Order: sequence, then structure tokens, then C-alpha cells
Amino acid sequence: MKKLQLTRLLSQLGFLGIANLGAVGIKTGFCFPFFYCHGCPYASGACPLGTLEHGLYKGHIVGQFLLFPFFILGSTCMIFGRAACGWICPIGLLQRATAPLAKKMGKYSFFKKLGNSSNEKYIRYVKYFVLIALVFLTTALTGFMFSDICPVGMLTGTFPLLILHPTSFTPNVFFPFALSIFILFIILIVLVGRGWCRYVCPLGALMAPFNKISVLWVHVDRDKCIECMACVKICPMKIDVLNMYRDPECILCGKCITICPTSAIKYKVT
Amino acid sequence: MPHIGNQIQGDIMQKRIVAQIIIIAILMGSLGDMLVTTDVYDDVLERIVTVICLSCVKLEPRTRLDFTFDTATGEPHPQFVLENLSKGPVFLHYRTDVCPACDDMEPILHDVFNVSYDIREGFHKTILFGDTSVTFIHINLDHTREKKRESFQIYDKDNINGVPMFTIVTLGYHPAFVKPYYATGYGFLGQENPEDAGLVIQDMIDDASTTYHQNRDGYTP
Repeated sequence: MKKLQLTRLLSQLGFLGIANLGAVGIKTGFCFPFFYCHGCPYASGACPLGTLEHGLYKGHIVGQFLLFPFFILGSTCMIFGRAACGWICPIGLLQRATAPLAKKMGKYSFFKKLGNSSNEKYIRYVKYFVLIALVFLTTALTGFMFSDICPVGMLTGTFPLLILHPTSFTPNVFFPFALSIFILFIILIVLVGRGWCRYVCPLGALMAPFNKISVLWVHVDRDKCIECMACVKICPMKIDVLNMYRDPECILCGKCITICPTSAIKYKVT
Repeated sequence: MPHIGNQIQGDIMQKRIVAQIIIIAILMGSLGDMLVTTDVYDDVLERIVTVICLSCVKLEPRTRLDFTFDTATGEPHPQFVLENLSKGPVFLHYRTDVCPACDDMEPILHDVFNVSYDIREGFHKTILFGDTSVTFIHINLDHTREKKRESFQIYDKDNINGVPMFTIVTLGYHPAFVKPYYATGYGFLGQENPEDAGLVIQDMIDDASTTYHQNRDGYTP
């Protein structure tokens, strides 16, 4: 079953490569079904959130820029649910890399308390707020876009541009503010496993509801379950796997499937 | 009784599958239809993926407003520029719809050139600066013809591929003959705010005017 996690790693690396096909001259007019900035000099497609923002900027509605990413994300998520977060998103890959650090941090009582707090489930709603407030409302009403402060844009767009063309650019006036947000993003993913996906990612918020109706989902067979809690402990999204049924937070990473000693957890297609 | 329970569950399952198939068919059908019947693919490629909104990436190109004869792509100067160059220097302003830095620069341009226009539409006007006629051309890359769009690459001297971009084309003395001579700047033109960038634009116009007057007698369009 470890093969599943290796496959996932290869998939994440493969899609990181696909996102950067611009390096070999392949640029497309598609939106990524994951988080990646089209500001990256090698980006092969558009950020879905950036495209949505183009469709709303200052109240000037461009229907095709609103519908196009929605249809791409909708089609993908109707079939695979939120699997894009676990299987193809480069930011998911980054958080996979920072997970061991986050695990170590989780041993300290403060972070343990934070993770187990009864209010934790409410903090997860922050991502929906970010989506509605910063991607839709402020973009449409004032022209202030989530892209202006996006830490993923900073990581995958701004920094690569600065690295590849060190003599061509200097940081502008928005840079220090965006850098502060980026530092908070790094702190978050180092302190809390999958902290970005769980609490802040507006794209995750857009995809999450599809888990309720997607074709692919993770099924727990309670008859086979011996309640060893191994799945709950390993879940990077800290879901109560035993009692989950089409949980919007599930990123279908399959870690619970890999660790289950009785094979009570499986991907299911319906 | 368990048999009836299973049957109900089976019914729900069947309805779910039908609903899933319908939703997927609608979403994929709409996506396919959109790709075939609209320009959305080209629009995303040209308006979002290819051109960088400089303020969105939080960067300011290190602008060196050096005049040069060689276009960025090696192509000749566009006809619409040459047509206006016989009257005086030509100032080109490139932007896209979604670009906060472009929005910040608009009032400055309106002040400097004393013009007013819809940012989503093409605009040009010849304005008198002292005794020099300067043609101001506003080009929104999201709503422009192919020729004007191509000029963006031609004048993208530093290969930044970002907006806002400002180019002034004048005349310069190239060994043996007078040729179009241009300078390109980006973002806030190396300044911290749009107001200071406005002063740089004023300097660009002054420099271009001086060079134009020095060379116009030797220019044959």
C-alpha cells in the first residue's frame, strides 16, 4: 500500500513539471485545477483564482473568465472531489515536505492544544471567508484582489521572477506587505500540518463542497474497523476519519487507506 | 426488514449516480462548448498567461530610459507609429483591464496629456507640448487589434512582458540617416509612486521633443 503514496508523490512531482512547461515554450489558455501563479515565468496555464478575479475586477463582469475556471474545476472535482489538493497541487507537495517539521511542532503543548481545540473546526471556515471576501467581494467592489497579497503567488510567481531576472526587477511598494503575508504562510505550514489547505486556501474552499457529490470518495467500512485510530492519527487534514462520510475536508491523499491494518478504508466510486 | 433498507439504499445510490452523470455532462459539455464556440482559450492565454500584471507580482522593473534604435523583436516599427511620427514624437501607453498599477497611472496620464478616455477602448490624440506635437496612443491589450498588440512585443525593450508599459518614439541620428528612436519604461518608471512617475513621463516627453527637433529635417518617412 506504500505504493499508493509513492504514486501520489510522483503525481505531485509530475504536475509540478506540467505547471512549468512554459520553460520549454508550452503556454496554454487553460486554468490549472490547482494553485499555481501564472506570474511564474514558466507557468503553462492560468491560476483559476486569478482568472476568476479577471472576471470580476472592479465590478466589470467578464462572464467567460468566471465560467471557464468554474467549469474546469467543477468537472475535475465532480469526478475526483478535492483530490487535486492531495495529488496534484504543488502547494500540497510543499506542505508534504514541511509535514515532518509540523509533526515535531505538534508535540509542543501549545500547538497540540491548537490542533485539538474544540474551536478548530470553526477556524476551517476562514478559507470560505477568504474566498468570498478577498477573491469575490473586494475584487468586484474595490479592485483589491487576493492576488495582490497571495503567498502562493509570491512563492511561485514573484520569487522565480526575481531569481531568473535578478537585475531586471526590484520589489515594489506592495512587496513588503505581501512578504509579511508570505512569512505568515511559511510559519503556518511549518507549525500546522497542511495548515494552508485546512484553514486558508480559497481554492480548497471552492473545491471542498464537491466532496459531497463527487464520483470518487473515501469510504470507511465500520464493520471491518477495529478502532485502532491509526487513520485519525495519520490524517494530514486532521479529520475524524472513523466517522467521516464524504467530508469536505478530505483531500483523498489515501494516507488512511495506506495505514489501515484491516483494509476497512478504501476509495469508492459511485 | 434489512432487505427493504438495502433496497432504499440502492435506490438512493442509483439516483446519486444519475445526478452525478447529469452534472458531469453539463459541466463538461459547457466547458467543451465554451472552448469551441468562444475565444476563451485565446483570451486566457493572451490576457492572463502571457502578459504579467507587474503590480500583481509585486515587482517593479529596473527601468533604464535609454533611447535605442533596435526594436525588441528586430521587427520594423509598426505602421501606425510611423504614420504619426511625421507629426512629432509618439507616446504609447500599454495596459490590461486587470492591473492595479495601470489604474494608479491613469490619472497621471490624464493630467500630463490633458486627455480623457475609456480605459477599455483604444484612444489616440495629438497634443501640443510647447511647439512639439506629441501623439498619445492608449492601447489596452485586452481590447485591441492584432497589429497594435504586436507592437507591445516590438517595444518591450527589456523583455519584461508586463504592464503598465510606456514607450516614447522619436527620431534619432543613426550613422548616415535619421531613424525612429525609442525608450521604454515600465510600472512606476522606477519611482516610488505614480506622481513621481508622472515627472519621469514629462522628462521623457521633453527629451523626445528635443531629439525630434534636432533630427526631423533629416527624416524621410
